[in-house]
Amino acid sequence: MNQKRWRHWRARLLIFLAVLGPGIITASVDNDVGGIYTYSLAGARFGYSLLWTLIPTLLALVVVQEMAARMGVVTGKGLADLIREEYGFRTTLFIMAALVVANLGTTIAEFAGLASGMGALGVPRFVAVPLGVLIVWSLVVKGSYRIVEKVFLVACLVYIAYPISAFLARPHWGEALLGTVKPSFHFHASYIYLMLALVGTTIAPWQQFYLQAAVIEKGTKVKDYVFSRWDVIAGCMVTGVVAFFIIVACGATIYASGHRQIRDATDAALALRPLAGHAASVLFAFGLCNAALLSACILPLSTAFCVCEGFGLESGVNKRMHEAPAFYWLYTGMLVVSALVVVVLSEEKQIPFILLSQVANGILLPFVLIFMIRLSNRKDLMGNYQNTPLFNTVAWLTAVVMAGLTLLLVVSAFFPNRLPR
Amino acid sequence: MIHFTELDHLPIYDVRGRYLGRLMDMGVDPGQEPRRVAAYHVRTPKKEFLCITHEQMQSISVRSAQTRVPLDEIRCYSPDEGLIRIKKDVLDQQIIDVNHRKVVRVNDVDFDIQPVDSHTELRLLDVNVGLSAAVRRLLQGLMAKHTIRTISNLFPAKVIPWEFVNLIESDPARRVKLRISYDRLAGLHPADIADILEELSRDEQKAVIESLDDETAAQAISEISTKMQAELLGSIATAKAADIMEEMPPDEAADVLQKLSPETSAGLLAGMEKEGAEEVRELLGFEENTAGALMTTEFVVVNERETVEAAISALREFEGDLDSLSVIYVVNSLGMLTGAVPLGRILLAPGSAVLSDLATGPVIFAQSFADAKRVVALFHKYNLLTLPVVDERGRLLGVVTADDVLELVVSRK
Repeated sequence: MNQKRWRHWRARLLIFLAVLGPGIITASVDNDVGGIYTYSLAGARFGYSLLWTLIPTLLALVVVQEMAARMGVVTGKGLADLIREEYGFRTTLFIMAALVVANLGTTIAEFAGLASGMGALGVPRFVAVPLGVLIVWSLVVKGSYRIVEKVFLVACLVYIAYPISAFLARPHWGEALLGTVKPSFHFHASYIYLMLALVGTTIAPWQQFYLQAAVIEKGTKVKDYVFSRWDVIAGCMVTGVVAFFIIVACGATIYASGHRQIRDATDAALALRPLAGHAASVLFAFGLCNAALLSACILPLSTAFCVCEGFGLESGVNKRMHEAPAFYWLYTGMLVVSALVVVVLSEEKQIPFILLSQVANGILLPFVLIFMIRLSNRKDLMGNYQNTPLFNTVAWLTAVVMAGLTLLLVVSAFFPNRLPR
Repeated sequence: MIHFTELDHLPIYDVRGRYLGRLMDMGVDPGQEPRRVAAYHVRTPKKEFLCITHEQMQSISVRSAQTRVPLDEIRCYSPDEGLIRIKKDVLDQQIIDVNHRKVVRVNDVDFDIQPVDSHTELRLLDVNVGLSAAVRRLLQGLMAKHTIRTISNLFPAKVIPWEFVNLIESDPARRVKLRISYDRLAGLHPADIADILEELSRDEQKAVIESLDDETAAQAISEISTKMQAELLGSIATAKAADIMEEMPPDEAADVLQKLSPETSAGLLAGMEKEGAEEVRELLGFEENTAGALMTTEFVVVNERETVEAAISALREFEGDLDSLSVIYVVNSLGMLTGAVPLGRILLAPGSAVLSDLATGPVIFAQSFADAKRVVALFHKYNLLTLPVVDERGRLLGVVTADDVLELVVSRK
């Protein structure tokens, strides 16, 4: 009897492992340069008082990503494909344009992070960034994308440094845990802005497109869908755990020291002092560069695939340049433009681009959410896997709150002085 | 000629000049006249839907359309699965362009306006997948239609005539109703069919494979990536999948089966004909990446003491793929490989010549447990097209063909 049960569970575990991947990868890319800095800033500036935003944000993330995964498994079609087929050409054009702008800005932020990280190690940015572009381009185009993913994912294990550091810094765990469950609200511009940035960096439009495509690539069968759901939940938990420990580590070190500012990578690296001592900068730089390169590999690629999918253009890294011109131009263009912006412009001048990407993400997200909810409610597309009424309630609530928050973010980006200091 | 983007939301009036509503979609009945628009779907201001038949339409232009009959003679709309609806089923959907052997997305649909007797008919001309149609869609509704036409004509148009359009419909019952057949697609080279299959979603792939005949399906499936092969064969009905696998060369069938789950694999083997299943099971017994796993058991073998005539009759009876045949292997009465006779020699020799005399040089072979690297090296060194595989006693088991080796070399890179 026991043998049979064990075999049953083992079979289920095997399917789970086979299906595992898209959720975890999306989560890891979620902890990109923007993510690391935002979480660090949150911990450094406000200690544990922003921790409470994590749980609601992650809940929202699970809901949204579950929809994307479910749509991918059941319809076998990408999100851009579905939007084009159900909402027509013009809508697709606007969404794709916004996606390109948003992702371009995010890629700029990734390369800025790469420059900043390598800068802390003494490598000038006009060396680090072109090198980064070269590595990313050759890995994706010449190498095997699968192997690239796996290599970077393994390198993501470096995030273990944060929990260890957090423990070593001996924070007030009681305070931290209280901060996680008890919402506190300071009506300051910087607090609100950081709160919005936290939400915005965790739930981004590109993730939904990427996750849906990755799930289809995995070839998960409809009947194994439950395991995809667990993959998504696992991924979101990973994001949450890493975010929590980054905030706590920064809170226990930088915030506690009274300094409370993060101007560059060296400042942010202080959070790892308890673990690494003087090698904190090196450790942090490694983690930052790893995150930057992983995102730089995935983001432009995903964007190029999406746009080609929406407009029925040829795509694929194994195709020659003249067979898939739009795809190659878009992909290479995004890499080159981001790199140029980071190398040529000074750090202050880069900020408007990064802000622009946050605004574009903010404008895009509510629309993408609404489309996703409506598409996943269609019986002719989803069959028996439509949203349940409970899910719909939660999903619509999430969409409305997200829309409100991101509207606030957009407004504050244009009118930074409207909120009380 | 008129474009669907110019007909979308067109105001419609009845014969008395009363405003009926806006044109939302049009339906074509493939059972009756496959290119004629049979029904116009109109949405009234009260959000109800009307269905105007083709005989009831008096005139159509980019400005408006008018019916021949008053409102009370127009019936209400009821969904009909047997109609191809332009907006729902064609516009923005992916279709197969057989001529260019790829999958494209429809940006616009073009019609011809034809006056017939007392009414006007619209006939399907082609679909537009190019930039000019994209520009039209972008500007639709934003400015006057003739302005849009002028602007969009500055851009290149890429049209596919309607007779070359293959809609992709996942529902098999609807495929029958819509008379969707993939005959033209079946006429393409299997490698091109495979290219098209790789661009479709899983359900769409299923739809195409289920509509092709077994042989074409098997050839096309052989050309797609092994992972996709397994997914595809695992998702279609077992009976059809087994039929297709019977048409595949046994070594390919074995490769695919290895990628499937044991239950699916067993189910497929059970569905195949006994002989075919036996061959495949044999090949499954070999370790992956050895000569035994790479070889096929479909080859021509004759006893060395037979004549050329016997060889030719063996060739005639051969059921496998004749295209990759270049050599006949000869064995002794114990089944041990003793020589290889190129087809060229068979052709030129007199019918009474004995095969063992015609066999060329020392025969190159590989043991069944030889690894893939050695197989590739042998092919390269001796410029082989096929390599016989023997067991430890020297008995001929199977043949590795050049295409399998090429596959190995390419996938290594």
